[in-house]
Amino acid sequence: MSPSPSSLSRRTFLTATGAVGAAALTACSDLTPGASSSEKSSSGPVSTAIPADEKITLVVADADDTTMTPGLIAAFREKHPNITVKRNYTGWDDYLKSINTTMSADSAPDIAQFTSGMQNLVPGRLLLKVGEYGKAYGWAEKFPGLDQITLTPDGKTVGTGDLYGVGAGLSFEGVYYNKAKAQKLGLTVPPATLDELEALFAKAKAAGETALVAGNLDGGLNHAFNVLLSAYLTPKDREAWAYGHQSATIVLPEAEKAAETLKRWVDKGYVTPKVNGVSDNDATAAFAKGEGVFRISGNWAAAAVAEGLGEGAGYFNMPPVTSGGKVRTTGAGVYYCVSSKSKNAAAVAAFLDFTAGAEAAAITAKAGFMAPDAGAMPSQSGLLGDVQQGWQTVVKDAGLQPFIQNSSSPTMGDTLTTQLQLLAGGKATAGKFLAGLQTDFENYHK
Amino acid sequence: MTTADRLTGPAPAPGAQSRVERGAGGTARKHPRPARSGRRRRRAVALLYLLPALLPYTLFAVLPLLHTAYLSLFDWDGVTLPSFVGLDNYGRIVTDPQLRAAAWHAGALILFFSVLPICLGLVSAAIVSRRAGRRGTTLVRTVLFLPQVIPLVAVGILWRWVYAEDGTLNQALRAIGLGGLTDAWLGSFTWALPAVGLIGSWVVSGLCMVLFLSGTQRIDPEIYEAARMDGAGPVREFTAITVPLLRPEFAVALSITVIAALSSFDLIYITTGGGPGNSTVVPGILIYRLAFGGGAVGVASALAIVLTVVISIAVLVINRLSREAP
Repeated sequence: MSPSPSSLSRRTFLTATGAVGAAALTACSDLTPGASSSEKSSSGPVSTAIPADEKITLVVADADDTTMTPGLIAAFREKHPNITVKRNYTGWDDYLKSINTTMSADSAPDIAQFTSGMQNLVPGRLLLKVGEYGKAYGWAEKFPGLDQITLTPDGKTVGTGDLYGVGAGLSFEGVYYNKAKAQKLGLTVPPATLDELEALFAKAKAAGETALVAGNLDGGLNHAFNVLLSAYLTPKDREAWAYGHQSATIVLPEAEKAAETLKRWVDKGYVTPKVNGVSDNDATAAFAKGEGVFRISGNWAAAAVAEGLGEGAGYFNMPPVTSGGKVRTTGAGVYYCVSSKSKNAAAVAAFLDFTAGAEAAAITAKAGFMAPDAGAMPSQSGLLGDVQQGWQTVVKDAGLQPFIQNSSSPTMGDTLTTQLQLLAGGKATAGKFLAGLQTDFENYHK
Repeated sequence: MTTADRLTGPAPAPGAQSRVERGAGGTARKHPRPARSGRRRRRAVALLYLLPALLPYTLFAVLPLLHTAYLSLFDWDGVTLPSFVGLDNYGRIVTDPQLRAAAWHAGALILFFSVLPICLGLVSAAIVSRRAGRRGTTLVRTVLFLPQVIPLVAVGILWRWVYAEDGTLNQALRAIGLGGLTDAWLGSFTWALPAVGLIGSWVVSGLCMVLFLSGTQRIDPEIYEAARMDGAGPVREFTAITVPLLRPEFAVALSITVIAALSSFDLIYITTGGGPGNSTVVPGILIYRLAFGGGAVGVASALAIVLTVVISIAVLVINRLSREAP
């Protein structure tokens, strides 16, 4: 084999590869396809009229695994026969990771379920400001919790700025309990204070029961931590941090109390043993099968718990620190936002408004969410009724607070999971745990 | 004759012919030139044959790689306009303590993805090949190879059940009276990484076995016979003949498994997601978190490039070492 032709052919080969590459590179002028700032993102002058004689197709992207979104879509289509609504459902984890790309595409869905991480779409002008529609329809009176989807132009701070959507179905967290076991162990529920709740845990543990059923393989202890923070932290501090306000901090004595309480619950053996090896879903399933006495989770778990424990399932709101204090808890909900690329903003706004109505309330309630129109929710019995009653107290006390991991920073979900596993695994003190959360916060808000 | 010449031998014949004829008409001094251009032309035709493979490879492998390298120079959240930061992202990678942990974990996984499966694969190949033709060997081979056929996501879910608090592993431990040893394996700071690693061993061992089996079939049976005449037993046969002669298969197995270890993602994502704490975080998980959750596409790209370079170097070293004469 002579060396020269072989090296020549290799060079030719490489040149050819390079040429093809260069050609393709120049062909795509947009190597970093960031959104140009010229895109319209404000709805401008609007009305509440929907074109009735025009065929309109809307696409909804969501990660709602209940019957709510499909139910609302079906009811809306029945009311507006000329509007076809297509649904693109994606599982929660995949939705979180893919929705920003989906919304950046030219074929973006008209309506999308708003989740953490989508703040980035605001400075990219990929979300439509719906404030004008809000005024025209009067959403401020119809929807509670609109502050959770109000953002500043840089998308980094929640609660102030422009409105980007509505919360169609709200969720909140509280304490489920096993009535039969509570009775057998002589536990008096509901407890009036957090200390009383902890005393109940101690009693259950002494009787050989798992007091608090939890799973932290995927960070499920965040439910307990979030509601503990709700109880201890002032609403102002809580919201400043959870909404990512500049120079907010979670390294506070009250937050440390919350973290220490959680750590104590784990250390004293109240929580499911080896909690880091159990997934959150498995914890709910175990509780529904009759394991343990208490479980801190959201109203989304009510259906599963009711099905498993039947009449033996009970619920009470997370007690305040001092007896008679206001009920404060953590919650979120299914929020819908709108793509700035939607060609049918009027129809989209009509759908958002539809979710606040009485007809929608029945669908929302049936799916296990709290409807924006609390009064229109059909009354229910059993566990779902207890949960609904708990919700009314939360609304009355204005006690619904945001999850700390949803809008404080895009990476907080992963960071909180990691830190909770360290805390529960005895690898981090309460102080170190909070410092870990704060580091993530500051990396984003610097 | 070069490889290209051999490959394209018959095809360019008419063209070459005409050139030679023209050359023959000229002076003798000009002879070499047409011959060279004919060779070049043949090479061009050779490249034409390569084009169907070259084009998709360039479009779907080379260009994305170059694009990733390009993106690694920007601070970009994946949505808004990016800003050029030069090599800052690479600086961030070097100083990130989480990444150092990830690198360690990837290194530890080589033990489970490469060393263990190669040992197991070698032994099982030796056993299966000695039993070749007897009843049950095909079944054994199929069963051992089966994990390779199952999608890794399914493998992950399967093993989550095995490792769960009341999963099959703990049930088995309790059944033989070792209940004190049970643990929630994937939630344990000590055991999560070995637990995940062993899943990798389970998956890859079958592949290694099949690789080595095909290697043993290549070895001349007469060598074994000669060894047996000299009084070698199965163990001596294994160490003196099978292992040294399987050198090329070692290189392939090691390359494939080291790549699998360093670029592992799906198994860990499904089973632990990097937890508990950061005890099973690997570079793949970090890239995914940074790019899709954290909106740090630039840093994620930089990390991906570094990982690609490290893997390439590892594979180069493996191939260089295995090529040397024993």
